[in-house]
Amino acid sequence: MSENTIGKKSLDWVDKRFPVIDLFERHLSKYYSPSNINIWYLFGFLLLIVLVMQILTGLWLMMNYTNTAEEAFSSVEYIMRDVEYGWLLRYMHAAGASAFFALIYLHMFRGMMYGSYRKPRELIWVGGWVTYVLLCAEGFTGYVLPWGQMSFWAAQVIISLLGSIPIIGEDLATWVRGDYLISGITLSRLFAFHVVLLPIMIIAVVFFHILALHEIGSNNPDGIDIKKHVDKDGVPLDSKPFYPYDITHDIYALGVFLLIFCSVVFFFPEGGGYVLEYVNFEPANPLSTPAHIVPSWYFTPFYAMLRAVDFSLFGLTAKFLGFVTMAAGIAIFAALPWLDRSPVKSIRYKGVLSKAFLAGFVVSFFVLGYLGAVPPSDLKNLLAKVFTVVYFSYFLLMPIYTRLEKCKPVPERAPEH
Amino acid sequence: MKLLFLVLFFSSLSFSAEGDFNCGTIECDSFSADTTDLASLQSGLTTYMNNCYGCHSLKYSRYNRVAKDLKIPLEIYQENLIFDGSKPGELMNISLNEKDAIEWIGAKPPDLTLEARIRKPEWIYTYLRTYYPDSSRPYGVNNKVYQNVSMPNVLEDLQLNLSSAEFDKVIYDLTNFLVYVADPSANERKRMGVYVLLFLLLFTSFAFLTYREFKKELKQK
Repeated sequence: MSENTIGKKSLDWVDKRFPVIDLFERHLSKYYSPSNINIWYLFGFLLLIVLVMQILTGLWLMMNYTNTAEEAFSSVEYIMRDVEYGWLLRYMHAAGASAFFALIYLHMFRGMMYGSYRKPRELIWVGGWVTYVLLCAEGFTGYVLPWGQMSFWAAQVIISLLGSIPIIGEDLATWVRGDYLISGITLSRLFAFHVVLLPIMIIAVVFFHILALHEIGSNNPDGIDIKKHVDKDGVPLDSKPFYPYDITHDIYALGVFLLIFCSVVFFFPEGGGYVLEYVNFEPANPLSTPAHIVPSWYFTPFYAMLRAVDFSLFGLTAKFLGFVTMAAGIAIFAALPWLDRSPVKSIRYKGVLSKAFLAGFVVSFFVLGYLGAVPPSDLKNLLAKVFTVVYFSYFLLMPIYTRLEKCKPVPERAPEH
Repeated sequence: MKLLFLVLFFSSLSFSAEGDFNCGTIECDSFSADTTDLASLQSGLTTYMNNCYGCHSLKYSRYNRVAKDLKIPLEIYQENLIFDGSKPGELMNISLNEKDAIEWIGAKPPDLTLEARIRKPEWIYTYLRTYYPDSSRPYGVNNKVYQNVSMPNVLEDLQLNLSSAEFDKVIYDLTNFLVYVADPSANERKRMGVYVLLFLLLFTSFAFLTYREFKKELKQK
């Protein structure tokens, strides 16, 4: 009991100077989430855990990594062989990158299914989209650091895309590289972005994302507004406090996630060539191009779009148009809140057109992902064109099809489940 | 310059990935590594040091790490497998420099520390067993897996003096050693992985039970 008193006194002392109890209540024990949320609502928590894991493993990797063209590759092997548990740090960080993207795609898809981007959650969605874009930059810069063959040539391909921009392109690419070719100068600046600039920005935007979410609260699979029906204390009727009800669900999900994640790290660290590319075990060689340059699996849908555009138009080169298409494929997510004109949020109550276009989007994302990972052929190029159109039609036709279709009535309260 | 890279890039995409993961003109023979078989790894190391190490370094690996992992006493290792007076803690570098190598052989023999991760063990195992006489080549030999390879058939003596099964075993051990040296922590990793997964199973079970309790409580409300 006396311990409890000391504990309570200390807590009081701190609480008078910093609002611990208020923060705990506002963000955990009196933060209410809808009673009807399902497993699609677990990925945000897992993403946060992966972010922390990447920062910690990255920090320890950085202690032993050398960011010069001469030493980078051998310093990675030094980590793998001579640093205590260096192999574990490196495999966790590499698999962590893939996990990050797998989870963020699922997290984004949840938002698209249930209309989580709709009013009043536009800024949460846009904040999340900024995190995704930053994560793409983080993934790309990190991919270059081991300075293997694929690191070098992927950097070459991606940065040379900037060179396709009319008039300023070539100078811009040189400015970004800091050299006329990818070199040690490029490597050390990408390293600085990867370990300082981008992580700081990601943490800041994630903080914004969560703060905005906790102001408005989660959407739910039915897209109903739970704040319409509240009890006398203002607590929504169809809700439960995040602590302890959601957090215990999240921790259970974390266990399942870690089982999958650790199976990869400890037993399939190369992930069949998708987590660590085989070609990247060869040091970067500017004089020898690998037979088949591919980006990481999480960029292949966009890479397929880049390759699909093989025609010039209005005096603009195919490469530039491909680059614009690829960038648009990533950028267009941000416009979703303003493209969707449906009277309902969730796919559960939307009409058949919305369902068909969402299904088309999913199929095109997977097909493009496959096409971006394999060597091209005429047929595959045609398919890439078709599915690029399908991909964009989900977004660009949304203002039309969401108004045309007949929706089902949305219930007032969360359905019993 | 940009154009050059563009051409390189797009032309490279038009080739299918050949050579690296299938075995050139033939199908790869199957190969299943066993890096827990220390006798095999020791035999592979011996073959490597006596036949390959003159030209092919293992420059990311250290002598004493190999000795420790393969459970070879350091004195024996130093006496029999370190030829140039290197200290046991040094990286396994060779004295052949690039200029001499190009003058003598025509190309710099690659470092092989990570070869088993780049090429895959089946490729190495098949490649080393498929040299055949070809008088049109400088060394009088060619290879079914790596057409017009510039490396002579270094292991020809063994191939001629051993039975086919014995020779296969020598190459098996050599390949097995290359698999080990490409990822020397693999055994420790798998051993540790079992405990990690067992712990996570336990953790997840308790996490599930906790979740279920709270879910029940919520339903009663």
